[in-house]
Amino acid sequence: MTPLLLGCAAFAGALAGFLALSLAMDRHHEDAYGRGTTPGRRRPWLRAAGTALLLLSLGASLGLQGATQGWVLWFGVLTAAALQVVGIVGYAPRQAARIGLCAALLAVASLLPGLLAGSDPGHPQSTRSGSLRMISSHSV
Amino acid sequence: MKEGFRQSMAWLHTWSGLLVGWVLFLVFSAGTAAYYRDEITFWMQPELHAASRTPAPQADALAHGVDFLQRRGPESPRWFITLPTEREPTVRVFWSGPPPPPAAPGEQRRRTRFENAALDPASGEVASAARATRGGEFIYRLHFDLHYIPTLWARWIVGFCAMFMLVAIVSGIVTHKRIFKDFFTFRPKKGQRSWLDAHNATAVLALPYHLMITYTGLVTLMFMYMPWGPQVAYKDHGGIDAFFADVFPSGGPRDAKASGRHAALAPLAPMLARARAHWDGAPAGRIVVSHPNDAGATVSISRQEGRGLSQNQPSMLFDGTSGALLSTAGDAPRAAAETRGVLYGLHIARFSDPLLRALFFVAGLAGCLMVATGLLLWAVKERQTYAKVLKRGGRIGFGLRLVDGLNLGNIAGVPIAFGAYFWANRLVPVGIDERAAVEIRWFFIAWGAALLAGLARPTRRMWQLQLGIGALLFAGLPLLNALTTATHLGVSLRTGLWPVAGFDLVALALGLGLGAAAWITGRVRHKAKPAAAARAVEAAP
Repeated sequence: MTPLLLGCAAFAGALAGFLALSLAMDRHHEDAYGRGTTPGRRRPWLRAAGTALLLLSLGASLGLQGATQGWVLWFGVLTAAALQVVGIVGYAPRQAARIGLCAALLAVASLLPGLLAGSDPGHPQSTRSGSLRMISSHSV
Repeated sequence: MKEGFRQSMAWLHTWSGLLVGWVLFLVFSAGTAAYYRDEITFWMQPELHAASRTPAPQADALAHGVDFLQRRGPESPRWFITLPTEREPTVRVFWSGPPPPPAAPGEQRRRTRFENAALDPASGEVASAARATRGGEFIYRLHFDLHYIPTLWARWIVGFCAMFMLVAIVSGIVTHKRIFKDFFTFRPKKGQRSWLDAHNATAVLALPYHLMITYTGLVTLMFMYMPWGPQVAYKDHGGIDAFFADVFPSGGPRDAKASGRHAALAPLAPMLARARAHWDGAPAGRIVVSHPNDAGATVSISRQEGRGLSQNQPSMLFDGTSGALLSTAGDAPRAAAETRGVLYGLHIARFSDPLLRALFFVAGLAGCLMVATGLLLWAVKERQTYAKVLKRGGRIGFGLRLVDGLNLGNIAGVPIAFGAYFWANRLVPVGIDERAAVEIRWFFIAWGAALLAGLARPTRRMWQLQLGIGALLFAGLPLLNALTTATHLGVSLRTGLWPVAGFDLVALALGLGLGAAAWITGRVRHKAKPAAAARAVEAAP
């Protein structure tokens, strides 16, 4: 799997994951869909999807940089993505869902080529990201 | 405790942050810039932009370094040769002059003089006479040595501030009641509320970075702040110097003495090959030759950094006349040393690739904003206690006025200082005496002027003016580079001269950011009165 695709998956996954988590919160849900609306029954699904996408981002980070530096990278990616989410829900809350969906699709799509190419035995990471992808596709 | 725990932590957070905030802002800005210290140095030496960037085999680069030093410093007690890396394409050689004669009584002791040069790794030529500049090294040193004051004092000051920073971070976490509820919250255009949101967002979202960088920053100088452990353990074994020689062997043996007998230096290429083979082919980083051309010569080779998180690199020590291997160090690091190495490595992030370094830079900028918004928040809150006084036509107190002035002179002034430093690099004539020091003087002249102006008139108009100057200085850097070199953005982007292109683009982005801040300040100034009235009406019921 190319570093570019993995980096893309790490960033897009973190962005989409945080956007899903923010939409599961009453205040940001109101900003996005109007006063008085609540996530209601969708809340657990949004939370699960957000968590799964953040884990997908972790998997991609570890795949990109290895087990030690991958964690450092993941924290950096999380910070950068969360700052963007603050900007989105602060200034363009109505776009949050759309951006989140695009980012989620991008994150999953950029992992697909590596998964379709098969799990070569020297690359245990690809199988791990595979299981993560399954979780996320169930919940989205 | 009469007040609750949280209130007392809020008090601690406010005052520990305010007390050291201005120094922290400088330290954070310089530290953030220092992630790109090599690139900044390269940008500031435009004479090197055209030099060949074709990599040469390490053995050739080393041979050129040794040839050069044999010509220029054969009598020197110590040579340092740093082999080229991806980020630093030249061979850097560094050698100390002969030790100074003992000073006469009453005369100040003269320091050993150090000289350095950059060589083209392929040809061995001195990389065309680059202008004298401290480049990114000044910014790196500014981060923990400050400037114009003794190093030891500076490190104590910075360490003191870092300790307060750690206190402020931990007490800030305790006092932040809604850390998860407000996780993504930023409410623009709401006065104090917006400042608090911005402070929370930059602090909480980059919290792993802030905690890590403050704690590991203290670790980098831990033997200075807390030397007692090694002092006791090595009391009867040669003192703290012996401890350092044991723990950090890569500098070569400290107690090695010159024998005084001349002996030819053995060729270094076989030693290099042996060391690299020992490290499974990993490149060598720094070579230290102690007492070259003496019978007691030693050669220490350490592995190039950039492979693991840890700052500690294994090294090998060779006899300088026979070429025999004397010892190896650091192959199986002890747990304590490795822990410190990893913490140190995390702080200076020399291991990281471009993506990771960019993320460290972003988190560092978030840290600058966290300190800045925290300082501003104090002033905004304090100003409210004066609301009634001001309405009656009274004046604000001295403390608030001082904080306002210091905030202005630092938050808007430090960017001006950095901008002035980079502009001075291109505008100060090449070849004048003490040129590197003149560039640095411009940094402090600009900052001093901004501070004085800020203290004299801490008004919104002055904020707008100073942020605007900072914006023009930074956004103008790509233009300045285009006017003073042949490597403007059009060229550097096309030919892949990434350090120069990256510097120009980041400077432009920072300039735009400062410009946006100036613009918003101006807009709020025009609206200030109606908005304040509206807020008063809202708050009334």
